[in-house]
This record gives sequence, structure tokens and C-alpha cells, in this order.
Amino acid sequence: MSELDPKFAREILKFGDGTFSACYNCGNCTAVCNLANNDNTFPRRLIRFSVLGLKDQIDASLDPWLCYYCGDCSTTCPRNANPGDLMMTLRRYLSSSYDWTGLARKFYTSKVFELTAIFILALFILLLFVFFHGPMTTELTPDGGVQLNTFAPWKTIEAGDWIMAGFLSFFLLSNIFNMYLKVIWRRKDLKIPVSLYFSELRHLIIHFFSQWRFSDCETNQDSFFTKVKNGEYTYWFVHFLLMSSYVLLFTMIVGFLYWFQTDEIHPWWHPQRLLGYYSTFGLLLGTIYFIVLRIKKQNEKSKNSHYTDWTFLTLLFLTTLTGILVHLFRIGGLPMATYYMYVLHLMILFPMLMIEVPFSKWSHLAYRPFAIYFSNVIMAAQQKTSQK
Amino acid sequence: MEQNMKNSSVKVADTLILGGGIAGLEAALNLANTGHQVVIVEKDLSIGGRMIHLSKVFPTLDCSACITTPKVSEASRHPGIHIQVNTGAKKLAFDAKGHWHVHVQTEPRFVNESLCTGCQDCERACPVVVKDEYQYNLVGRKVAYIPFSIASPRIAAIDIENCILCGACEKACVPGAIDFSQEPVQTEWIVKSVIIASGFTLFDPDQIERYGGGKFKNVVTAMQMERQLVPTRPFNTVLRPGDGKIPDKVAYVLCAGSRDGTVGNPICSQICCMYSIKQAQLILGALPMADVTVYYLHIRSFGKGFDEFYQQAKKMDVSFIKGKIGKISELENGDLMLRYEDIASGKIKEAKHDMVVLSVGILANRDIEKISGLENLELDPFHYLKQRQEMSNPFKTNLPGIFMAGTASGPMDIPDSILSAGAVSAMVTKYNKGFVESIINSLTISSWNE
Ligand SMILES: Cc1cc2nc3c(=O)[nH]c(=O)nc-3n(C[C@H](O)[C@H](O)[C@H](O)COP(=O)(O)OP(=O)(O)OC[C@H]3O[C@@H](n4cnc5c(N)ncnc54)[C@H](O)[C@@H]3O)c2cc1C
Ligand code: SF4
Ligand code: SF4
Ligand code: SF4
Ligand code: SF4
Repeated sequence: MSELDPKFAREILKFGDGTFSACYNCGNCTAVCNLANNDNTFPRRLIRFSVLGLKDQIDASLDPWLCYYCGDCSTTCPRNANPGDLMMTLRRYLSSSYDWTGLARKFYTSKVFELTAIFILALFILLLFVFFHGPMTTELTPDGGVQLNTFAPWKTIEAGDWIMAGFLSFFLLSNIFNMYLKVIWRRKDLKIPVSLYFSELRHLIIHFFSQWRFSDCETNQDSFFTKVKNGEYTYWFVHFLLMSSYVLLFTMIVGFLYWFQTDEIHPWWHPQRLLGYYSTFGLLLGTIYFIVLRIKKQNEKSKNSHYTDWTFLTLLFLTTLTGILVHLFRIGGLPMATYYMYVLHLMILFPMLMIEVPFSKWSHLAYRPFAIYFSNVIMAAQQKTSQK
Repeated sequence: MEQNMKNSSVKVADTLILGGGIAGLEAALNLANTGHQVVIVEKDLSIGGRMIHLSKVFPTLDCSACITTPKVSEASRHPGIHIQVNTGAKKLAFDAKGHWHVHVQTEPRFVNESLCTGCQDCERACPVVVKDEYQYNLVGRKVAYIPFSIASPRIAAIDIENCILCGACEKACVPGAIDFSQEPVQTEWIVKSVIIASGFTLFDPDQIERYGGGKFKNVVTAMQMERQLVPTRPFNTVLRPGDGKIPDKVAYVLCAGSRDGTVGNPICSQICCMYSIKQAQLILGALPMADVTVYYLHIRSFGKGFDEFYQQAKKMDVSFIKGKIGKISELENGDLMLRYEDIASGKIKEAKHDMVVLSVGILANRDIEKISGLENLELDPFHYLKQRQEMSNPFKTNLPGIFMAGTASGPMDIPDSILSAGAVSAMVTKYNKGFVESIINSLTISSWNE
């Protein structure tokens, strides 16, 4: 049995502005949505759930993750109820409902809390460096670079990375487990053969790396090249660039720091530099592109920016910028500048990862592919039962 | 005006009615029958408004033209009613004695009204064919033409914009009525009161890209279907315009351009549910084997006998499906695929139909805003005339001596338009009777609105 809770709409509104109560239940949004189908019929259903306050249904729903916010539903909604934005708001709501610590909820609903947390984490890094930094030698390496590894030995930093990665994985994985409990485990109507968890695993991998679902948003009949020319894949492309850069950098920093943070200056074609450049370029271009979109409010999905969108983009942009400066100062042989910039870089990077990855915007990187995976598992299971 | 006395004159009447649709005609007859001198100023070539073009009316299924034409001919023959067609108001001015001076201009029709017998010889002779707006572009008409068979006055006109000046009509016309030397004629009417009964305009569905943006041949508007269902219909049967096939599966898309903020018309048009139900029944009468499906958001059947009429349609096997059509796509054979969420089951569905009727909504006629001297006339947020005292004096505008009737004040059906005309007639009678120059002189806009 589900309980109606008319006040629940107010709870949702804490996670974003919304005009969904204007909805008159016409179904236009679902009919125009290119990603909705009869296994996942959204967004109207979610609007009903929200208006009526069917909390359990919302908590168990994967639909918000299957929406890529193309905005078609919002631009054609006769009541200007902005269903696309509700789906975004529900993603924030769901992220915090999976999070057992309650921190995600705090970050999403209180600006002050988020900013204070960023500040404290940055201070923590600063203090670590104040007390534990290595010698600040001004002597340069034979090829004219700064001895960064003397100031901050990669071994120590890597140890820190591992501790941090452990934290992040613990929170993120436990949240995903919580998500699993909500969307599959607690549903009594589902019988899922274990084998399906393996056979559907490919969806998780494919969608994590490609986010190709974005392109399903475009269903017009134009040829691939016209679509490219008309910029219909640009969003997907930039998003892909940004996210692959991020994953690459994260891997290099956490897994291969000895190789990535060297004092040696490699020739420009060295894979270390090329990969580094690719990632910095991807992050820089991506963050600027998304910031400009959000400022210009050109398309539907960048019209309604939540403050967490801004913090996220700003932190990411600043991380990238300081990272570039560290690199330039190091190969340019400016020891003091390199050291200070390095500390600043970590002071931004650390809070960004600690807050964004498990509790805020970045968590969708994990929730989305898992949602697609879970929903495929559910669909496959339902198909099996109906075949019987 | 002074220089060209031939083409201008000053005349006096009690009341001027702007618009000769059903509301304007009804008010004119009421007033003239109680002794007022009335003038009807009609922009179109014929009086009768939208109603004269309709098939039957809900919920009685009476023939629409059969109700309109007696009123049209009574008005045209009434000694107390003066009708000027093809005429628009240019300027209104309120004088110190409380009279309105209404400057109207009659456009030339290039046919001498007193000589033309309506024989249609010019029409047969004219070599140029253009789209017939009176048949909502379903068929063509000549450039020298009688507007439509039951037009009043039934006199030819020449559509000068499309005329190639070949002279064929002139030669064919036995009484010699064709007169290319006609010029616009100005009249200044001095009246006590004015009734604005300028009606509504139809929403243009070409704005809706998702419904084909006007490109799909077998998607028609309700007015085009209405024309296919009248006794004087162009094809003498119901067929789809793309290829002339008689349709088997007709779909009605309700709220096309009404209750839709994205097209700037968030309000309900009040008539389209009912006229769609009416047309569905008439289609089943014309094509008994056809399937008719009505896709609706909510059925608004609030008037007397309306809900029974809706139930009757259901009994006749018209299907009613709740769900707004999200997209229409055209198939190669001209059939149409409609995509919607079936609200009852929560499933996304696609349905194939061979003809689609868009039940377009109605909009305010914004002509009035262009008339000079009416800048201070108050409108509601949807550009209809504002009923300032909706409860006590519903058909008064904010300007002294100016009243409204019919759909000029908001969406409404024929019975309500006629009722409003009756109400406004009573109010105008009282106003005209009490009109004493010295009293009116002290009337200010604010005391009118008290
Ligand atoms: C497809 C369709 C089907 C319908 N079916 C039904 C039905 O079955 N039953 C029913 O009750 N109702 C029906 N209606 C509604 C009905 O048409 C209206 O309620 C009715 O016509 C309103 O009459 P009116 O006089 O207010 O306006 P109109 O009929 O629009 O008349 C206004 C007149 O004013 C003239 N005019 C406009 N501007 C000016 C100007 N500036 N100067 C001078 N003259 C001007 C116009 O040319 C027109 O002659 C239907 C409507 C549509 C669109
Ligand atoms: S299109 Fe708008 S009004 Fe219609 S169901 Fe969706 S949100 Fe509600
Ligand atoms: S934003 Fe796009 S993907 Fe999301 S529900 Fe609306 S139409 Fe579907
Ligand atoms: S003169 Fe004009 S209206 Fe007359 S027949 Fe020629 S084209 Fe037609
Ligand atoms: S009358 Fe019916 S079809 Fe017309 S706008 Fe209102 S609800 Fe929609």
C-alpha cells in the first residue's frame, strides 16, 4: 500500500524550484520524450507521484536517472509545469535518499553547509602542508624543473590519495548498495535470477564510458553528418570529453602518481604529457562550455541552475586552472610559485572530490550507469516472468 | 474628406454595431424592433459571421445556416437596420455632447451593388483561380466571385489583389455592373451607443511543429471539417484532402492551441470539445463505417443538454481517449501516426489514422486594438474586451456608451452569444432612451464605471 502525503511536494521543492503543481495530467511530456518507453514511462508518472506525495514510489523509481534532460517535455508542456526540471530535482532528491549519512541532503539543501564544508576541508589540506611539507628547495633539476617531489613526495601524496579513494569508494558504494535495496531488493513483486546481474552488466560498462543515451534524445531523420554539423552531438561530445578527462586524471592521480607526478620534464610527445594535456584540455573546455551554457540559459537543461551546479563547475574549473599553473610553474623553474600553487590546487581538489563524488553532482557518474543497469536487470526479469 | 464629397458623408443613427455575426445581428434585430435606428458595420463581404458557415449546431443538431439565414434576411430587409459590408471602422471619437463619431470606410468591391443580379456570369468568365477562403482553402474560387452561395448581400466582388485586369468579367456582365473605377467610401456615423460584436479569430495550428506545422496534407482544422459537413459542402462527401480518399479512421485532437501556454493561449476555448463531439456524430452520419476517435484532456460539456450529447456520441461508438497528442508523424501513404500517453493505462501508444482533425481553439479578434480612438478600451489578459462589471453590467466596456456582445467578450458558443446579445440590447435600449444631451454631457468615464 502506498501512502499519500500532500506535504511531500514541499520536501521535493527543497531540492530545486518547481512549477510541477501546475500539471494537468495530459501526458504530452511522456509522449514527446524520446527516452521514455512502456517499461519506463516518465515524466508524467513522476509528476503525479510528486504532486500526490507517493514517496515510496519515487524512492523506488529509476526513471529520473533515465532522463538526460533534453528539455523537450518542458518546452512543449502546455502548462509550463517544467517536467524536465522536476526530473533534475528528483535526481538531487534521490541522490540524497540513497545517502545514509544524510550529508547529501545537507549539501543539496543548504548553501551555507556546502560552503562551510568546502572551507573546512580546504583548511585541513592547508594545515597538513603547513606542518608536514617537505623541504622547499629552490634548487632546480638538471633539466630546469622544480623539485616538486622534494616538497611533496609522491609516496606521501599517494598514500593520502589512497585513503581518500577508500573513503570515497566506501561512501559511494554503500550509497549504491542502498539504491539497490530501494529499487530492487524491497520490491516484492520482482524475482530476479542471479544470472541476470551478470548478463546485464554490459549496460553498466557501456553507459559508464559512453553515455550514448544522450544521443537517443535526437530522433530526427537527418543523416549523421547533418546532425554533427547542426551541433546535435555537441553536448554529448563535450560531456564525454569532460567525463573521460576526469576519469583519466583521477586514475593517473590515484593509481599512477609515481608516473604522473614526476620532477623530470618529459618531451612533449611523452604519453604522460599527452594524457595530461588531453585531460586538462577536456576539463577546461568542458567546464567553460557548461558555464557559458548555464549563463546564457540557451537550452532547456541549462535554464534552471541549482547552486550545487555552480559550486561544482566552479570547483572543477579552479582545480583545472591551478593544475595547469602548477605544471607551468614547475617546468618553468619557479619553485616557490609551484609549491604554493600545488597547495592551492589540492585545497580545491580535495573538497571537490570529497563532496561532489559521493554526495553531490559527481555522484551521478555512478548512479546513472547503475540505474540503467538495474533497470535492464528489472526489465529482463519481467520479460522472463511474462514468458513463463 | 472635404475635397472628395462624392466619397464621404455624415449620417446619424442610434446605435452602431461593429460586426454582423450572430451576436451583432441578434442585437441589431432586438434594437430595431424596439424602434432604434441601427447600423451594422461588417468587415466581411457578407454578414452572418462564423455561424453562417457551420454545419449543424450542438447539442440540438439544428442546421446552422437554417437558423442564421432567416435572421440575416430579416436584418437586411429591416427598415430600422442599415448594413454596410466590406466596411471597417477607422476611428472613434467621443464628443462633448456624449455622441460617438464613428468613421468607417467601405472598401471598393468593383461591382456596382445596385446593378449586380448575382447571376455569376462574371465568375464563369474569369480565368483566374485562387484558394477559396470561405471554404477554408479546401477548394478554389474565381477572382470575380460571389463569396458563397448563401452570402448576404448575394453580390459579386472582385478580389483586386489577384486580378489580372483581363476584362473578361466586364464583357460577360450583362447589366454592366463591373466597375473598376470604384474608390473607398468614407462615412461618419454619429451615434449614441456602439456595440462591439467583432467576434473571434481561429488559432493557426501551423505554429505547432509537432502536429506537422501545416505540412501534413491529411491534417485539417475543425473549420475545414465543418465545411465538409454542411449541406453546401465542396466535395459533397467527407474526404481527406491529400488524395481524396474517404477516411476510415478519423482522429480529433482536442485543445489544439487552447489551454496551452507554449502557444500563448492558456485558456479554454469552451466550444471545441462540443463541436468535436458534434462533428464526430455528423461524420458517423455521413460515413457510417468510419471509426472516430477523440483524444481529449478533459471533456467540457457544461451547457444544457451538452453532457447528454456527449453520452450520445459514446453510444454511437465514438471512442474517447484521454491523453494529449504529443506528436503526429506522416506516413508515406498519407496516413498519420499519433503518439500519446494513454492516461487511463499509463502506457505510451501510437495510433494510425487516415485523417486528423485539429480542434483548434479560438482567440480574441485583435482588430479592435487597431482602431484609433479606442486606445483606452480595456482588454483582459487574453485580449478580449474586459467586462469590468462582470456581475452587474456584464456587457459594458470601460468607455461610456460602448457595449459588447458575443465572442468579443470571451470564448462562448452560439446560445451564449445570442443571450449576450439579448442582454446587451436591454442595456442599450435603456441607455439610448435615457440619452439626453445635457445629461450625457456631464457623464465622465469614471461615473460610467461606477
Ligand atoms: C469549427 C467551429 C464549430 C462551431 N460549432 C458550433 C456549434 O455547433 N454550436 C455553437 O453554439 N457554436 C459553435 N461554434 C461557435 C460559434 O461559431 C460562435 O459562438 C459564434 O459564431 C460567435 O458569434 P459572434 O457573433 O460572437 O462572432 P462571429 O461569428 O465571429 O462574428 C463576428 C463578425 O464580426 C466581423 N468583424 C470582425 N472584425 C470586425 C471589424 N473590425 N469591423 C467590422 N466587423 C468585424 C466578422 O467579419 C464577423 O462577421 C463553432 C465554432 C467553430 C470555430
Ligand atoms: S505535459 Fe505538462 S501538463 Fe502535461 S502531463 Fe506533462 S507536466 Fe503535466
Ligand atoms: S527532459 Fe527529455 S529525457 Fe527528460 S523526461 Fe523530459 S523529454 Fe524525457
Ligand atoms: S478582370 Fe479580373 S476579375 Fe475580371 S475576369 Fe479578368 S481576372 Fe477575373
Ligand atoms: S473546450 Fe475542450 S477542446 Fe476546447 S479548449 Fe476547452 S477543453 Fe480544450
